[in-house]
Formats: sequence, structure tokens, C-alpha cells
Amino acid sequence: MDIRLLRPSDIPLIQHANLENLPENYFLKYYLYHALSWPQLSYVAVDVARPPKTPYDYPKIVGYVLAKMDEEPADGVQHGHITSLSVMRTHRRLGIAEKLMRQSQLAMVETFGAQYVSLHVRVSNQAAIHLYRDTLRFQTEKTEAKYYADGEDAYCMKLDLASIREQATDEAKKKTNGHGGGDGDGGHEDEGEAVGDVGRDPAAKKGKGAAGADSKVKVKVGRALGVGELVERVVPKQS
Amino acid sequence: MPQTLSTREANLFRTVIRHYEDKQYKRGLKAAEQILKKNPKHGDTMSMKALIMNAQGKTEEAFALAKEALTIDMKSHICWHVYGILYRTNKNFDEAIKAYKFALKLEPDSHQIQRDLAILQIQMRDYQGYVQSRFVMLKARPHLRQNWTALAIAYHLEGNLPQAENILTTYEKSMTSAPLKTDFENSEAVLYKNSVIAEAGDVQRALDHLEIDGKHSLDRLAVMELRACYLAQLGKNEEAAKAYRALLDRNPEHPDYYKGLAEALGILEGAEAARLAVFDEYAAKYPRSDAARRLPLDFLNGDRFQKAAKAYLTQMFDKGVPSTFANLKHLFSDPFKRDTLPVLVEEYIQELKSSSGSKGRRNEDSSKGEGAALYFLAQHFNYYMSRDLTKATEYVERALELDPKNVDFHMTKARICKHQGNVQKASETMDHARSLDTRDRYINSKAAKYQLRNNENEKALETMGLFTRVETVGGPLADLIDMQCIWFLTEDGEAWQRRGSFGLALKRYHTIFNIFDIWQEDQFDFHSFSLRKGQIRAYIDMVRWEDRLREHPFYFRAALDAVKLYLLIHDKPQGTNGVNGGDGKGANGEDAAEKRKAAKKAKKEAQKAEREAAEKVARQDPNKASSQKSKDAEDVKKSDEDPNGLKLAGTVAPLVDAMKFLELILQFSPKNIEGQLAGLEVFIRRKKYLLALRCLKAVLALDKSNTAVQEQAIRLRKTIDPILDSLAPKLQEVFRSELNAIGIS
Repeated sequence: MDIRLLRPSDIPLIQHANLENLPENYFLKYYLYHALSWPQLSYVAVDVARPPKTPYDYPKIVGYVLAKMDEEPADGVQHGHITSLSVMRTHRRLGIAEKLMRQSQLAMVETFGAQYVSLHVRVSNQAAIHLYRDTLRFQTEKTEAKYYADGEDAYCMKLDLASIREQATDEAKKKTNGHGGGDGDGGHEDEGEAVGDVGRDPAAKKGKGAAGADSKVKVKVGRALGVGELVERVVPKQS
Repeated sequence: MPQTLSTREANLFRTVIRHYEDKQYKRGLKAAEQILKKNPKHGDTMSMKALIMNAQGKTEEAFALAKEALTIDMKSHICWHVYGILYRTNKNFDEAIKAYKFALKLEPDSHQIQRDLAILQIQMRDYQGYVQSRFVMLKARPHLRQNWTALAIAYHLEGNLPQAENILTTYEKSMTSAPLKTDFENSEAVLYKNSVIAEAGDVQRALDHLEIDGKHSLDRLAVMELRACYLAQLGKNEEAAKAYRALLDRNPEHPDYYKGLAEALGILEGAEAARLAVFDEYAAKYPRSDAARRLPLDFLNGDRFQKAAKAYLTQMFDKGVPSTFANLKHLFSDPFKRDTLPVLVEEYIQELKSSSGSKGRRNEDSSKGEGAALYFLAQHFNYYMSRDLTKATEYVERALELDPKNVDFHMTKARICKHQGNVQKASETMDHARSLDTRDRYINSKAAKYQLRNNENEKALETMGLFTRVETVGGPLADLIDMQCIWFLTEDGEAWQRRGSFGLALKRYHTIFNIFDIWQEDQFDFHSFSLRKGQIRAYIDMVRWEDRLREHPFYFRAALDAVKLYLLIHDKPQGTNGVNGGDGKGANGEDAAEKRKAAKKAKKEAQKAEREAAEKVARQDPNKASSQKSKDAEDVKKSDEDPNGLKLAGTVAPLVDAMKFLELILQFSPKNIEGQLAGLEVFIRRKKYLLALRCLKAVLALDKSNTAVQEQAIRLRKTIDPILDSLAPKLQEVFRSELNAIGIS
């Protein structure tokens, strides 16, 4: 087993794993959208023990987590969201899902300053609920009625990333000390804060503003079909 | 003469554009008609109308109208722009580029047209053109960082690394204030620049740049990985070791880090004990790490291997990890390991039995302990490198005795049946496994796959339908096509082919071909999107992957199926059409006769199936209509004129049709012997002997001992000999010398 970041070239086999395992499926473009918007957040588990059959073999994906940041958080708080997570039945009980999740959560904090991560899970999916609630310590926020296309309800779950934030800040400090590069001005001490409170809102606003302005540019004709549109179309909730 | 609009109508024209952008096509058309009532020869409005019609799927009418608009108003950039867009949406990119260039000549300052052109250029990998366009765009708007980055990307992809770096640096120098630490675009731009430096091969400078400019990067993992890699490349082993240790602390499941650490520590390949010590350290530090325990099994030998393997197996079986066998099967290329593992597993079972009283494992989950061990052995004897299907059956039955409702055990039983050649029983067994856990799509997918292997297409689709979206118009198949479910389409096509229903088989292969077209086009939006998002490294990765998209085994398998089927269709109508010569054809002739007979029978069967399928579709139609009512008419999918692929199968030029699939096989998977052999078959039949020779030589280069080569060389020679004298002298020479060369080897 190899747990590593998702690469664009993995996507056909991630889509394959998703289609084999779960009823909620997406176009390849939706995976690309994740891989090109938040390439730090999605991870895969690869079966490295497969002997190659041709010179063009792609690594076999046995598990993946597809994650994103909420682009326009309703509560104004930067947070991540798990779009899809699955592990092949043949590769269960190795803790792969948990390991994938932990990698993703760490990156959410480090790279995007996420305060929490949210997800939806089928109310009947005991194994997944066990993982999220008992192993990863997610809290159930609420139940969303008929969230899934087949009419099943979803639990909306959340995990506060405060403890990971502390861990990340510690590591950053260790790293700066370890470097010993001679810039002991202590200026990095507040790095954690910058990621957290000071930097967050302006950064978020800036990001949003820029994107918003761009998408509102008056074009004469023929604006290409935006990726954003695609997103709305594929999210299972739409049904 | 172009007409000018009154103020009122000019306003109306703007609303046409707005409606188009908002996809309010009916309203847009209405407004356009209003303008055209008073100004029937207003080219721009006609063009906009054409654009809307195109969006509604009326392609031909749209083109006609756009052309008419152009003849009326040749000097309108809108008319040319629209003309280009029509070509673009219909995937004629070369014509689209031409039209955009015309539009741009008329309106050189149009940012929109320039942008559309640039995107098409990069989509078509016209790097030089893209550099030019991005240069113009940068000059027009130099205050936007995106434009600098974009030009750097253009140079980078063109292969001009120094210039790419130069552009990025120029922008950096122009920045008046230091960027915020949370400025994501900046953080990523720095790492992008770092990747350009490293790609140019200047590792030391890449390291320096990373440690100074990349220190505050928000992508911490990337910085850590790059740093470790640079340090190792530069031979700074002590620091590299430290860097790899930090990475292992983050993720002890990534084999590359162990490898990097061992190398940095100067541990040699053969130094088993020293290598093991590295892994043991992390196994102790991270008790839940799988990699630290399993990876040493790759390099350990003898007693050390036995000890480590025993410990690993015990832990896995106690936990009941179903993938234990899958995790170890790559070791089987080593006969010692292959033979040792089952012995260790038997030992485990014996020890378990002798101590079961005290440990009381009996009440536990029976997929753990003995069940897991028996399951391992069943898989072991089912694996092609250690196959003994009688033993495999024995073990799986013993496992099932312990746990009769275990889905995994039944699944393996089905696989054993498959290997015994009993696809019928395999299908039934897998379906039984499915029935034991109807909420799990994985086992559902496997059941459908096994049904397809048993040529039960209809049943398989029904099985798949248990998990596809109910509301998709056109039923489960439409949903699977929408969701780009390649594996199903491939297996379904192969099953139809076995049943002799060539139309449906070809239909599936063409559908897969089209999905790859979609995947290739999917990158289109990202040429602009990624600039806004600022994730440049990921974008570059994507572009490079898309360049070799069709080497994917998903494509290869379906395309090869299609080529072979077209060959079959070509050969079927008259088995001997002289191409293969008379001699040595006897055996083949009998073969062919038998094949024809089988094909005839299968065809009858298939026709029946197709009739039934058609009836089914017909029955579904009324529902389709009713569920569509609520939807906007614009959303209606174009109806498929050949749902059963009868037109495809009825082709008069199967070998020409095969080329569509074959060309991309040879272009993207040239190292695949099967692909080259298929090429040979097609080219010999098409009398393209040079191309046939090229395929033959490619096979030879890949595998000198390939048994097919000699046979095919003789065949090619026999085919060519009678006509050799009629060829140009140079060609004669080429064939003589090349075929002789092959004959000798």
C-alpha cells in the first residue's frame, strides 16, 4: 500500500474505484476540478503489489479521498469538505480510509487555513459513521432529509480542526528552528495566527472578490462553459 | 452593406447576448427576431441567432445562417468570432482558429477574441501561437499577475525554461509590497518557479530558491518533499536523512520515503539487517503503519523473511484483514517466498487450534483468525503463479464452513469457478455473494461483471440498475454512459461480441472512444480556470497527462477489441478473398468455416436479443417523454439514430473504420505488442505493406522471441512475393533486405 497525493493521471482509476464502490458518481471533469483547484487535499491509496501487465499500466487505486474547500462558505468560515471517500472492499480493515482522511485534514489546515471539515454520510452506513464519529471524532451537526438521490437521509458531520492547527503550528516552529538558517528574528512565531485569524478573512474575501469580478467580466459572445457550472450540476444534492 | 441599429435595437442586441450567456435561448431568439424584423440583414444579429441555434443543437442551420451573416457583413468581428465558436463547439479546431484570427484582424484590441484564440491554441498544443497570444495579452494588461504566469506557462510548455523563469522573476521584481503569507497565488507561484528551475536541472539553485523564497509556502508537503529530493540529489545525506524522517513522521505509509531515508543513510541494497532496522524503527514508532511491516518482506530472505512474514501474517489474520493476500502476492516471483508463505499460514492455523481454548477466539468474528488464514490459502491456490484449483476449492469451502455468509469468501469461490472455466457457476456464485450484502456496490459490480463474462448482458444491466440513478432518462445504460463507466461498457461490448451481436459490441467500443474524446476536451475550461485558481503545478501535470491520455489501458482494451471485431467483419463475408494466398490456408479455411457457422448462429441469437432490446427501448419511450415534459426543451439530448449499432456493423469499409481506433493505439501505445500485431493484420489486408512491415519490426524490437513474429514474417513475405516485382525498385529493396533480416533472427 502506498498513500500519497492524487495526481491527474490517477483520475480514470479513481473514477473507476468510485463507480465500483459508491452510488454517487461524477464525470471525470469533476475530479479534475478537485485536482486542479485543491491539489493538496485529495489522496489515494495505491496497490503497489500488482505486477505490471503492459508498459502502460497505471497504478491501481484501491482507495481515495476527494476533498475540497467550500468556495463560498455560508458561515464565512474557511472550511474543507469531503466530496467522496471510498476504499475497495478487498482492502478494508487496513485503516486506509482513516489514513487518507488524516492526510487531507492536515493539508486543509496548512494550505487553506481550514477551521473545520464537513461531510455527508448515509444514515445507514454504519461502517463509515463509525470511522467518522468514533475514530476521527466528527460530530453530527444535523440530519438532511432525502439528501441522496435514492431518498435516503444524510447526517451532516463536522470536525473542528483546532487540534490539527496546533499540531501544524508546532511543526512549523520546529521546522524553523531546525533549519537554523540564521533568521532567528522570531517573525515566524505568529505564523499560526496568520494562517488562522489575521490572514483568513481578508484572504478569503480577496479570493472571492477576484473570482467574482472575473466571472462577471462582460464578454461579447461565447463565454466557455465554466467549470463552476459543472459543479452545480454534479453535486448529488441537486437531484 | 451592414445595417446600423437604432438605439432601441442596439439595446435589444445586448439583451440577445445576455440571454445567450444565461442560456435563455428562447428569449434570446425572440429578441433576435425582433431586431431582424426591422433589420433583416443585420449580420451581427444573424450571427447571434446562429450561435443560439447552435447551442440548441441545430448545428447545420446554425452554420448556414452564420455563413449568410458573413456574406452580408464580412467586416464584422462578431460574425467571424461566432463562426469560430461554431467550429469550436463542433470540434473543428483548426477552422475555429482561422476564424478567430480573422476576427482578431478586424478587432485587434478585443480581449475576448484574443482569449478565445489563446485557449484554442493551447488546447491544440500550438505552443508558438500560444506564446504569441499570451504576449499580446500581457502587453494589454500587465498589471495582472495571471498574465505573467500565463506567459511563463506558455514558454515552459514550449520548452523554453530560462525564458519561463525570466518572466516569473520579472513580475516578482515589479511587486511593490511583500505579499501576505496567506497570499495563496503567490505561494503557488513561488513553487511553480521552483519547479521550473528544477526541471532545467539546476538542483542547487532549486534548493536555495526553495529554502529562501519557498520558506513560507502554504503547501508544506510539497516543500518538504522537494527539499528532501534536492538534498539527496546533491549528496547532502545527513540533511536528506533528516528531511525524509520528517516526511515519514507525516506519512509512514509512503514507500518512497523509506527508500529515500535508506539511501541517505548510505545503506546498501544487500544490507538486509541495516535496512530492516530502519523499518523496525518506524514499525515501533507507528504501530498502525502497514508499510513499515510489509515492505521488509520485499527484500528479506531466508530466516529473516520467515520471521518477519510470520509476524506480519499473524497480525493481519488476527485483525481479519481481507487484503493480506493481495498485499503479498507480488512476492511470488520469488519461488522461496511463494512456497514459504502457505507453510507459515498452515502453521498459524495449527497454533491457533492448539491454543484456541485459552484464547477463546471461537466467539469472535469468524472472518478473523482461522477464517482469514483459510481465505488466504484459497486465494493462494487460485493465483496463477501458485494455482491448484482443487486445493483452492477445499480451502474456500473450509472457510465458508466457518462463516457461511461471508461475502469475501463467496467472492473468491466465484473467482475459482471462473478459473475452472465454469463461467456459469462463477456468475451464479458471485450473484449469491451479492445477495448477502445488497447495500454494497462493490459486490454488486462484481456480480454484474461475472454475468457479463457469462454473456448475460440483460441480467448484468439489471444488476447494475440496482445502483444507478433512477431518474436518468434512458435507464441504467444511459446513466452508466453518462457517468463514463468504462469497465462496464467494455465488458458489455465484449459479451455482445461473443454472442455475435457485432452492432451492440461496436456501439460500446465507439461509446468508449467518445468518452475519451470528452476527457480530452475536459481540459478546455481549465486553461483559463487554472490561471484564476493559481494552481499552476497541478495544471502543468494535467496538460502533460492529457497529452498521453489515450495510452490508458481503458482505451487500449476497447480499441483493440474494436479493431479485432472490424477485422472479423472484414473477413466474414468471403473468407478467402485472395489476400492470404492459397498455400497453408487449408487449416485456416476450416477454421474460418467453423467460425462462420458459429457467427451465423450467434447472429441469429443476437438479432433476437436486439429485437427484444429495441422493444424494450420502445416501451420506455413514453416514460421518457413524460419525464422530459418538465425539463426545458433545450436540455433534450440528441436522440441516438443507431442505438443498436446496426449501421456500425453494416459498414462496407470495416478496415477503414478500424483505422480510427488503430491509429491512436499505434500512436500512444507503440510498445504494446498486441497493438502492433493488430496493426499488422489490418495493414496486410489493406495492402499497406510498408506499414505492416513497420508493425512487424516494432514487435521484433519489443520481443525478439515472440513466436508470432516468425509466422507473421513468413506470411508477409508470402503476401508480398507475388507482387514484389511490380513495386518500385526502392521498395523492392527495402522489403527484400528487411524481410531477410527478420528471417535470420
